[in-house]
Amino acid sequence: MEKTVEKTVEKTLVIQRYNPEHDQTPSQQRYQVPFDNSTSVLDALLYIQQSLDPSLAFRWSCRMAICGSCSVMVNGIPKLGCKTFLRDYSGDLLLEPLAHFATEKDLVSDMTLFLQHLQAVKPYLIRQEQSAAITPATKPQPHKQTPKQLAKYRKFSSCINCGLCYAACPQFGLNPEFLGPAALTLAQRYNLDSRDQGKAERMPQLNGKNGVWGCTFVGFCSDVCPKHLDPAAAVNQGKVASATDFVIGLFKP
Amino acid sequence: MSEQHSPRRPYLAPLTASWWLKHRYYRFYMLREATVLPLLFFCGCLIAGFYSLQQGESSWLNWLSFMAQPWVMALNALTFAASLFHAKTFFELFPRVMPLLPAPLMIAGQWLGTVAVAALLLLLLGGVL
Repeated sequence: MEKTVEKTVEKTLVIQRYNPEHDQTPSQQRYQVPFDNSTSVLDALLYIQQSLDPSLAFRWSCRMAICGSCSVMVNGIPKLGCKTFLRDYSGDLLLEPLAHFATEKDLVSDMTLFLQHLQAVKPYLIRQEQSAAITPATKPQPHKQTPKQLAKYRKFSSCINCGLCYAACPQFGLNPEFLGPAALTLAQRYNLDSRDQGKAERMPQLNGKNGVWGCTFVGFCSDVCPKHLDPAAAVNQGKVASATDFVIGLFKP
Repeated sequence: MSEQHSPRRPYLAPLTASWWLKHRYYRFYMLREATVLPLLFFCGCLIAGFYSLQQGESSWLNWLSFMAQPWVMALNALTFAASLFHAKTFFELFPRVMPLLPAPLMIAGQWLGTVAVAALLLLLLGGVL
């Protein structure tokens, strides 16, 4: 009886390695990984860690493009590891940690700056009555919203904080203080929300030198966004809001 | 506690001056921004034209013959092409910044406006040139 030998097709992954305890600068290491039609970059990384080299460090969680943890550079382009498939690459794959962020180890980036920028734009609903103490007597009422009001900001609300847009943004690379695509999109998302009353608190951040005017509409952020929420459009809509805010400010006593 | 040794030593790759050569998208962006360079030459020509017009006839004729030189014509043809290219990218980005109407409609409208203004200018100034 003839035995079916499964043909193993392999691909070479070149991975940037950096161990802060021994290395001065990163180096590259090559791995041979078997793959089929369904093998994602994350699957390949898990295979390497489990079968070839347990010292390889990378972040991951959900494997379904919603946690935003497995962001890496694949052949120089920011990608989610779980949403990128080996079958789509004809040659070797070069995997590096996210550009413009500091590397902690191997493919793990230090996302502190990103999180600080997100916090800076107050990405949450701000209500004026929140300052008053909520007692059983002043029971908060739900803030209703029509589908039309929802449609205004919905497009910008599906950010998963993966940071791909920051790795795509040369302005963030040149000036790490630039608030960047995701944070400015989030600011626009809350400014467009009919339930929010915090626009006045966000505008100084958007108007500032690290706000919307730091963007030059390179547009690569929208190209790499795994949720297609067009951050470049949101940031540039923020410019319209900022200019309007400035003109209104001129006529205010 | 603050004296405790941390094994953390984040490595930040330096961003070189040639960052924009590394990716097709960045090269396209730089090309778009570089369209201002030939435009700068055309603006110089235009200002010199107004100045020579004010200086008198001989100066004006000098300017006309300068503008008719092949290299000036070639450079201004490049400016024209570059400006059209810039207009195309601008018209495509505009509906994303101010989404007032469906994007294809806004793009078509902007081109229509460009053609209308160009036709009007030709009609008004065509006889002069």
